[in-house]
Amino acid sequence: MSQTPTSIIEACHESSGLEIRADLTAAHAHVWEKLAAPGTWWNGAERLAIAEIVGAALDDSNPVPPWESASAAGHLPGSALLSSELQDAVYRLAVHAGTLTEDWYLKMRDATGITPEQWVEAIEVTISVASVLRFAQLAGIDRPAFPVSIEGEPSRQGQPSRPAKHHWVPVVHLEDKTPELAPFYDGLPAVAPVIRALSSVPAAMDTLATLSSAQYIPTAEMVDLNWSRGTLSRRQIEFVAGRLSAHRECFY
Amino acid sequence: MMLRASSSANNMEVDLSFIRGEAEENGAVQHAPELAELVDASINDPGSLAPARSALVEVTDQATMLDAAAVVANFEMMTRIADGTGTRHPSDRLESMSEMSTSMGLDEFVSARLE
Repeated sequence: MSQTPTSIIEACHESSGLEIRADLTAAHAHVWEKLAAPGTWWNGAERLAIAEIVGAALDDSNPVPPWESASAAGHLPGSALLSSELQDAVYRLAVHAGTLTEDWYLKMRDATGITPEQWVEAIEVTISVASVLRFAQLAGIDRPAFPVSIEGEPSRQGQPSRPAKHHWVPVVHLEDKTPELAPFYDGLPAVAPVIRALSSVPAAMDTLATLSSAQYIPTAEMVDLNWSRGTLSRRQIEFVAGRLSAHRECFY
Repeated sequence: MMLRASSSANNMEVDLSFIRGEAEENGAVQHAPELAELVDASINDPGSLAPARSALVEVTDQATMLDAAAVVANFEMMTRIADGTGTRHPSDRLESMSEMSTSMGLDEFVSARLE
């Protein structure tokens, strides 16, 4: 019998001999449970195929330049489920996100034929894999294997997303909030653009909120500029965040 | 930038240029050199991650090293969300960041969506 996604994460964390926070293990287990299960716009096998491209991209010790096709250059495992154009787009998001432009986004949409919501969900898979694998690498623990894909159809549950001033992708504005988005919007006078970015796919919002609360700062504590878990100070947290973002050439 | 806000909240001056450059020990961010070494190794030289981890544990503890690793993982996420969705700051925020962005060279990034 194959391991469950949760048991894959727990085994890696437990065998490390390190005292990894239980909430962090639970957060990574949560996104691993979703990783290869039917999503909103992709089925489990397609989500797993996206994850495998991200894994290969993060492992690529000699990445292709952003303007070259990673699939044509033989840097990707190949997938019968995803077009080569989409594989290249996911690779570039994983390796060269700081080079993406709106022109690139529009051309990618034309070339792949995917919807903005499908792209948002591809981003969700990418951030799940990037978070879990990069944490394992930095902490020096075993890299979790990908879970087995689960059969089933995507939910295809749409949201009233509209074009946005601060994004290429459409988002759900506060006034259009749906029950699915309530956990992420309720009580907030405004939602930062980078949080709202994934709102056309509430399941992606769930991934972001789960990971961010465990890896960075719980949402409710964000306003406390002295918040700490007792390890890193808030200023140390922000220093690490800023230095990583600068390395990734992320202006936002 | 939240580092500036969290420092100001404690009446601390912080030279934000050390985000990108040499990270020296300073009052606002304790153990900045060791934290920077961990981040830098993860990007530039994964082979040197083990000594970087050890150096950070040496001056802090294992739980702090793990939390630093988790913050890196988090911003591997946030940077891809921002740049994958073309997220940009509202104009008033851009204005308040303008001096800092220029002095740190951030506005030269391809990802600087300034309009």
